[in-house]
Amino acid sequence: MDENEAFEYVKSTLKKEKITPYHSDELEIVKSIGACINCGLCINHCPVVASVGLDRFSGPRSIAVELSRSPPEFWATADKVYLCTGCGTCREVCPKNVNIPEIVNIVRANIFEHRPDLVPKGLMIVKEIIEEHNLAFEPWEDKEEKEESRDMRLERLGIPYIPDVVKENAEVLFYPGCQAEERAQEVREAAKAILDYFDVDYTLLDEFSCCSLPSHLMGDAKTARNLAHQLKGKVKKLGVKKVVTTCAGCTSNLADLSVRDEWGAPAYHLLEYLVEEIGFEKLADALKKVAKPNDVHVSVHDPCHLIRHTSRQVMEHALNILRLMPGVRVTESVEHDNCCGGGGMVSFHASEVANSVVQENMMALEKTGAERLVTPCPLCTAQIENNLFKSGSSIEVDDLTVFIAQRLPKKE
Amino acid sequence: MTDSKFDVVVIGGGSTGTAVARDCAMRGLRTLLLERDDIASATVGTCAGMISSGLKYRDEPDIMKMCSTEVVYWNHIARHIVMKNPILAPLLDLSDAASDSSYMESYSEHVEERDVPAMMFLTPDATLEIEPMLHPEIIASVYYEEYFIDPFRLCLLQALDARNHGAEIRTYCEVIDFEINDKQEIEGVIFYNRVFGTTERVTTKLVVNAAGPWAHKVAKSAKEELHIRLNKGAHVIFDRRIVNTGITVKAMDGRWVYLFPHENTTLLGTTALDTWEDPDTLVASFDEIEYLLQSMETVLPSIREARIIRTMTGVRPLVPDFKVPERNVTRGYRIVDHGENDGTKGLLSFLGGKLVTCRHMAEAVTDLVCEKLGKDIACTTHEKPLPGNEDDVDIIALSKEYDISLHALERMRARRGTEMLKVLEMTKEHPEWKTTICTCEPIIEAEIRLSIREEFPQTLNDLRRRLRLGTGPCQGTFCTYKAASILSEELGLAGDDFLVDILDFRAERWKGIRQSMRGEQLAQEELAQGMYACVGNLDQSDVDYDLKPWEEGH
Amino acid sequence: MDLETDLVVIGGGMAGLIAGTIAAEAGLDTILLRKGQSATAYSSGAIDVIGYLPEASEPIISPEEGLFALSRLYPLHPYNVLGYDKRIEFEKVMENIVGRTKDTVTWLKAHLDGTIAPLMGDFESNMHPITILGTTKPTCLIQKTMHNGDVQDREDSVLLFVGIMGYADFNPSTAAKTYLEDRMAAAGPPRKVGHCIIQVMPFGKPYNVSSIELARHLDHEGSIENLAEQLKEHIEQIGATHVAFPPVLGLQDALKNKEKLEELTGTTVFELLGFPPSIPGQRLQRALETIFTKAGGKMLLGHEATSYLKVDDNLKSITAASPRREIKIDAKAFVLATGKYIGGGIAGDETGLRETVFDLKPVTGDYHSAMEIVPSRFTSRLSISPTGQPIQSCGLSVDPRFRPVDEDGLEWAKNLFAAGAVLAGYNYSVEKSGLGVAATSGYSAAKNAIEFIKEVA
Repeated sequence: MDENEAFEYVKSTLKKEKITPYHSDELEIVKSIGACINCGLCINHCPVVASVGLDRFSGPRSIAVELSRSPPEFWATADKVYLCTGCGTCREVCPKNVNIPEIVNIVRANIFEHRPDLVPKGLMIVKEIIEEHNLAFEPWEDKEEKEESRDMRLERLGIPYIPDVVKENAEVLFYPGCQAEERAQEVREAAKAILDYFDVDYTLLDEFSCCSLPSHLMGDAKTARNLAHQLKGKVKKLGVKKVVTTCAGCTSNLADLSVRDEWGAPAYHLLEYLVEEIGFEKLADALKKVAKPNDVHVSVHDPCHLIRHTSRQVMEHALNILRLMPGVRVTESVEHDNCCGGGGMVSFHASEVANSVVQENMMALEKTGAERLVTPCPLCTAQIENNLFKSGSSIEVDDLTVFIAQRLPKKE
Repeated sequence: MTDSKFDVVVIGGGSTGTAVARDCAMRGLRTLLLERDDIASATVGTCAGMISSGLKYRDEPDIMKMCSTEVVYWNHIARHIVMKNPILAPLLDLSDAASDSSYMESYSEHVEERDVPAMMFLTPDATLEIEPMLHPEIIASVYYEEYFIDPFRLCLLQALDARNHGAEIRTYCEVIDFEINDKQEIEGVIFYNRVFGTTERVTTKLVVNAAGPWAHKVAKSAKEELHIRLNKGAHVIFDRRIVNTGITVKAMDGRWVYLFPHENTTLLGTTALDTWEDPDTLVASFDEIEYLLQSMETVLPSIREARIIRTMTGVRPLVPDFKVPERNVTRGYRIVDHGENDGTKGLLSFLGGKLVTCRHMAEAVTDLVCEKLGKDIACTTHEKPLPGNEDDVDIIALSKEYDISLHALERMRARRGTEMLKVLEMTKEHPEWKTTICTCEPIIEAEIRLSIREEFPQTLNDLRRRLRLGTGPCQGTFCTYKAASILSEELGLAGDDFLVDILDFRAERWKGIRQSMRGEQLAQEELAQGMYACVGNLDQSDVDYDLKPWEEGH
Repeated sequence: MDLETDLVVIGGGMAGLIAGTIAAEAGLDTILLRKGQSATAYSSGAIDVIGYLPEASEPIISPEEGLFALSRLYPLHPYNVLGYDKRIEFEKVMENIVGRTKDTVTWLKAHLDGTIAPLMGDFESNMHPITILGTTKPTCLIQKTMHNGDVQDREDSVLLFVGIMGYADFNPSTAAKTYLEDRMAAAGPPRKVGHCIIQVMPFGKPYNVSSIELARHLDHEGSIENLAEQLKEHIEQIGATHVAFPPVLGLQDALKNKEKLEELTGTTVFELLGFPPSIPGQRLQRALETIFTKAGGKMLLGHEATSYLKVDDNLKSITAASPRREIKIDAKAFVLATGKYIGGGIAGDETGLRETVFDLKPVTGDYHSAMEIVPSRFTSRLSISPTGQPIQSCGLSVDPRFRPVDEDGLEWAKNLFAAGAVLAGYNYSVEKSGLGVAATSGYSAAKNAIEFIKEVA
């Protein structure tokens, strides 16, 4: 056997023994898991354990000390690992910051490769959509209908429509993310309105494509790498200096990709961009100009991908911006930073789990007396909105980007 | 004193002793196995479980052939506890390969019957893709495959199978004397029951001494001199599978050391030091740990960043070849028939041998026993499966049927094969026994209760050998007190004994943790002290705790 | 975006949160970084001050007496650092130690009153709560839910240990046996002890039930009534006067739940001291966080101090990293309360120990350098014994103002104070002194930091 045949042979043996060699960029994560001392603090804080119990979801510590120890047996974790919403609460409370959310993705990737039959069907459907459209959601069939829907939303919300701009060498690439691109179009448009208002030199992608997070989360490592590669090409071609997004998941994922794939352009959430680049002074000036603001009592939901995967400071920015708004009163709910259940692709195959996670948030929200919930993530918005609607609550939910755009004056 | 009659008494509950008891029982002999401690509590319980192709012993082609044949048998009779490890021997310079090229041929002679490929070379790129932790400057690697067996379950299954065939298995029974008549024939064996503190006697004319590193001491009780070469070997154990394949490398002294994924851990071994110490007192030394780490570091530079959870130490009972390094001592075995040389008639002692050949050794000695008893019964130990090996198990279906996690069931299957159904059956009446007790392995309560009822453990440490209790990253920090409660309930122990069981198991775990204490083990131990000393106040407990052999002199 | 504040506390356990609360209450702008939760959240939720002198086998009757003894016998124990202050006459050192500790205990009790972890007990006598193993341990303060009333005083007391089906963290039959044997040896009540298993199924299954789901479940309306209903039969069967539960009586309403159960069953109900992941520990952690934020402190969760800027003798700023961002925080003073090995304040490998934020120089329990020690050589051959594991006494050496010192005995920075398990010179597991040292050193470190900031101003 020559060396190439030998390698092929060895690879087939590894496949038979269900061994997927760790990539070198995964070794740091694997090492982090080795720090677990099995204390179980994470169990006391895991929102999924709180919602469905330890028997159904054995909790983060079991992922560290039990389920992630032996790759040939990763297939046998399929009844547990897909229930993790990837909220990162475990990692945040863990004295050792054991990187559970990422090891979950590695385990899922192994199952995806060796036992696709054990991957929840709901995820496989998403996988097909992504493969076909480079998007996490089925796109609109009729472009005109999509525009009509957009215009109706903008009219209802009172947000001006700014035509799309695509150009090279702009300062900022605005990346709306799949949800805002296809579903919550008002978020995409609101962001454009905000950027336009502050005269930011920005561009959109010529052709939008998914940031790869959904593929990464379901374990489709190959597609995830392809999508990341595609996006890098687009960012490089445009020659932007910064990437700004309105989606929490995209924020943390793009931040990773821009470092890993050496984009040369850091990625931020729009909130960070507003506070750090536009500044409170300009923001305050603009927000105060609104002639007769409606008084509104709001509460806030902190998206996991912002607070626990990026930085808690991002929500400080959000609160500080809200405080600048005349007529806006904020009451924080005790569960403001509890996962909404919408993460980790759980809602795509076990919606009952995702929906039971959000119940705590909803109960706490009702107690605040707020009439509106704002959150800087279109996915959290959708998850909470749907569940509030189902429960017959009168509380409305807005993406924070939309909420800000609504409270900006008309551009002079 | 009780008095019962046996055709043969086997001394030692290691791989050889249990294999002999099984063979004798299967051939219809009235068989008693006496073990001073627990099944697999010494040498075999500290090995890597490799049922080796005999690669290291290529100067002994007969042994290599024997190893290969035995591997085929194990895959037939115990496949539920056998797994295959792909192995890489990375080369940093050509001399690594050139000085030793004959092994490729020797290894490849018997590959087909074992269903593995011939050894092959891999390019550096291919090697690094398989194992990215390897040194980036390797020039090539040699690839081969070996089989591994769960050494604890193997011994226990042999013992249980022996019992199923009528043998009596007595653990915690230490042979203290032999009754020998004027004709220098053995008439009886006297032993001390360590659980009840009583002395017992049995009648037999034949004794198989498979006491491993204590074989010479057993022989001495019959006033026989047995020369043996005792050699200490230590392993360092990591918390999980830290490598994708096994890695072997030449150590600084030219020996081969290895890093093998083993169940859900990784073992780094071994050292080889001639020893005259009491095997019970031995622990790994700082030098041994460094020898292993530094040797492996040459090809796997990041090995120190991985989490070491403990060390384990055992003693090889080698045949008495002296004036050669340990690695040149034959891995063949000898059966010393003391009566043949004007010594005690009826005493047969084992020297040497390997895990992989334990069945072969048993067959040979049982042939001899039968001959002495004037019986002509064929050996069937290579044909008849060990308990649990009967069929495949559909884990996914069982998980749905019993509402127990897939992984808990998969781990149970790796221990019990089809016998796991007995455990599951218990949960029908007691659904609460589906509760996970050891979270690292994991192990559910029903399996602990079944093991206590049917597999004669006396301590938590015995349960560890049967179930891998407390062998994970936390080293029993969280299962010790839970399992101790269950043991206490099942055995009807007093409260003090419950606390002693906790202290005993902490002591046993600490024996291996302490030597390699570093990194996260510091935090793990802070936690364990916080639980058992600070909250449980067990450091102040006034129970009757017997110092362990390795604790004495404190 | 950079931040500016008066005081930065690094570490969010008992020591850090008390330091932060004291500072915030004194009007300082205080930011507390918490990398993760720590030993406080694991703890049984009782506050040990001093239970045993090092290597002694008789429990200490009262923390007051213990501290007096400690100050004479172990002058370098962190408690004793409390006593040394250049403005204090030598004769008053002992009084000062006791006084400051007592102040801390009083402060803590007062502040946690009305939170989800109200405390009881006092400085004049240690209490002896029962653990889930059936053993007892000396401790200074317990959460009110752990109060076992007169079970050991009343001649006719009968104690029932209650387990929950499928909840593996507590086995009532072994605890009952162990406890009864202990009481028989002491020839004191209770002379009758029983045990039972009841069913509480937060998710409809009698297996793999966890502490947290039980605690949350018992906070729900109706759960306690159901529990009481099940208990009645068992209580009547043995005539129980007292009922011991694993520590899961509630996360928010544990005390209310205890009182309600007492009312419904006519017995004294209490929680045992348990192991991690402990609910009372969780309650304590949350309560401490609540008083800190109420005092105006700002918590920065998920942030780890990764680097710092020091100019001459002053620490100017630290950089705090979250998973994907970094911020620089300027402050006038800093408190280091990062814990030991669990908290990660001290780390080590086979070549020695190191302090993880400022690379300060750790020492052993005897105050020799621990920078090049082999950890295994600072262990005892016995796993669990009154000697404990000497490696657990390693940490930082501090000056009388709780400032970490260099090898030459001088403070490393004028404005860095240390508190809690990061300190050397005590082994909390065997002394039973963990949260007490954390609280008092946190209290003192904060007072010193406040004083320093005032001096500079």
